[in-house]
Amino acid sequence: MRFLAEEKLEALLHLLAKSSSLWTPTAIEDAAGTVTFEPWKPGTAPVLDRFTTLSAKELLLPATEKLFSFTYSLSEGEESVEIEPEGQTGETILFGARACDAKAIKVLDALFMQPAGEAYGDDQYRRRRLDLTVITIACTTCDAACFCSSFENGPAEKSGSDVFLYPVEGGWIAEGITDRGGDLIGGDSFTDSGIDPPELVVTRSVDIAGLQEKLPEIFANIDFWQEATAKCLSCGYCTYTCPTCYCFNIFDEMRSDREGERLRGWDACIFNLYTRETSGHNPRPTIAKRYRNRIGHKFSYYPANQGETLCTGCGRCIRGCPAGLDIRDVLTGVKEL
Amino acid sequence: MTTIARTGMKATNPLVPEPATVSEVIIETGNIRTVRLTFDDTETMKNFTFLPGQIGQLGILGAGESTFAISSPPSQKEYFQFSVMKTGVVTSAIHELAEGDRVSVRAPMGCAFPTDDWKGKNIIVAGGGIGMAPLRSLVMYLLDHRADYGELTLVYGARTPEDLCFEADRDVWEQRDDVNFISTIDNVCSGWDGCVGLVPSILEDTAPSPDNSVAITCGPPVMIKFTLQSLERMGFREEQIYTTLERRMKCGIGLCGRCNVGAKYVCTDGPVFSLADIRDMPDEL
Repeated sequence: MRFLAEEKLEALLHLLAKSSSLWTPTAIEDAAGTVTFEPWKPGTAPVLDRFTTLSAKELLLPATEKLFSFTYSLSEGEESVEIEPEGQTGETILFGARACDAKAIKVLDALFMQPAGEAYGDDQYRRRRLDLTVITIACTTCDAACFCSSFENGPAEKSGSDVFLYPVEGGWIAEGITDRGGDLIGGDSFTDSGIDPPELVVTRSVDIAGLQEKLPEIFANIDFWQEATAKCLSCGYCTYTCPTCYCFNIFDEMRSDREGERLRGWDACIFNLYTRETSGHNPRPTIAKRYRNRIGHKFSYYPANQGETLCTGCGRCIRGCPAGLDIRDVLTGVKEL
Repeated sequence: MTTIARTGMKATNPLVPEPATVSEVIIETGNIRTVRLTFDDTETMKNFTFLPGQIGQLGILGAGESTFAISSPPSQKEYFQFSVMKTGVVTSAIHELAEGDRVSVRAPMGCAFPTDDWKGKNIIVAGGGIGMAPLRSLVMYLLDHRADYGELTLVYGARTPEDLCFEADRDVWEQRDDVNFISTIDNVCSGWDGCVGLVPSILEDTAPSPDNSVAITCGPPVMIKFTLQSLERMGFREEQIYTTLERRMKCGIGLCGRCNVGAKYVCTDGPVFSLADIRDMPDEL
């Protein structure tokens, strides 16, 4: 174990920002007290006493990103089109993630890091992921929405993290999880330490065992889903703040009459238009059916296909839902059927 | 589940399409056109392989892309084609295409009909309207490998004679004596001296034996529904019946999320499924 003293933090951030794009939890000056991961600016202190409103998934799956640009040109009466894929990304460091955020990256890796050719994976995700270092702050406190203890390892989950920082008096105990993390804490900002890491928090826990099999079994119980989702507004807050919701849309935008871009942006299975076909047919026409798919995807389909539960218990969907819908109540309801 | 190897997808970013050029546009019906395409890159065109039932994303850069079945057979190396019904933004743009226009293509995607497993069997194909698109590729593939299969029965129906696609192919199928080809329209109309009746009832009248047979159907949902009922009445088991599913798709490679039916993704696990596969899925079609 190593130790990072509080007064060394700013120097460390300066050092990290020299060679990488460094993202830290940053307070947005708004009435809601929003905290998001933003590129670090010298002189600003990372917000480490509160959860971020948005997850860190934007570092790997930006809310909107260019897939490629295209240019039509006319030469000697013949039209041609040039496609220019998006270029390389650089080294990125995420400082101040929580164990649930880091675990979410590991969970997404199962789908997006599949090798190209056999399954498909995602080229742009892969490039960003290989260049990403995650420095996680271990949780010694929680709030009423947290439920990471429902999952194996809970707040002590280390997958997805390169460095684990345990808050202690005067600084952080640092544990290197990966080789990359070990190298990072080998630097001069850190000193050797014999202090034991503190006890981590225990959050509320929901019994998720057996949901993978149970959810398909109760699929046809539409009365349950209608009652469970009666409050849902289909607004998409839960999906946008979720660290593991990854659904996306692909669309074109023209920049001039000859040039344009194909973009992709976050989408959400809770939206009516997401699955509605041109004919008007929609396989998931109601909120109940869409929410059922969201829960099914997270706790049954993704586990069946990728071997990971598509939820890490971060609680963002509970903390911010404008209708007060609590996914834990829905999961408990499924268990009790 | 039907497990069929996905073939042909390049190892580079599968979300980035290849430019292609329209070599020919065929007006099939009042609202269906076939666009024949060649990849601009000669190596890509030379190496382009697929199997019947596989799909592709045809796009017009600036308008967007949509998913369609490849309606040409793998043996056609000069071009490949999509047959497109005009319904929305992208398909309307596709209907504006003329020879020489540039498009974007990502293909092939998805799983093909398990034609290797069908060797030695009798094949019954029942298509309706634009649903004939993937079946045209299949029928032409079966004719290319005619000796590998038993009796071939093909029923193709549409509302009116003007709604039947693939006129030139229909003429060829009529002529061949190794295909039992029946084209049918919904109602009697002047100038049509062929078969009249809905595909499921014509199929039952034709009464191909379920013994050592597989049946493949594709068409409007209501036609598929009644064709499946007819096939079951005729003694076909779920494992002997195949269809292709449609869903709204964006990525085509199992990432963007929208085409799942339970844990299965139509774009990568399908679009070809046996009726046995479909019965195992949650009821969300």
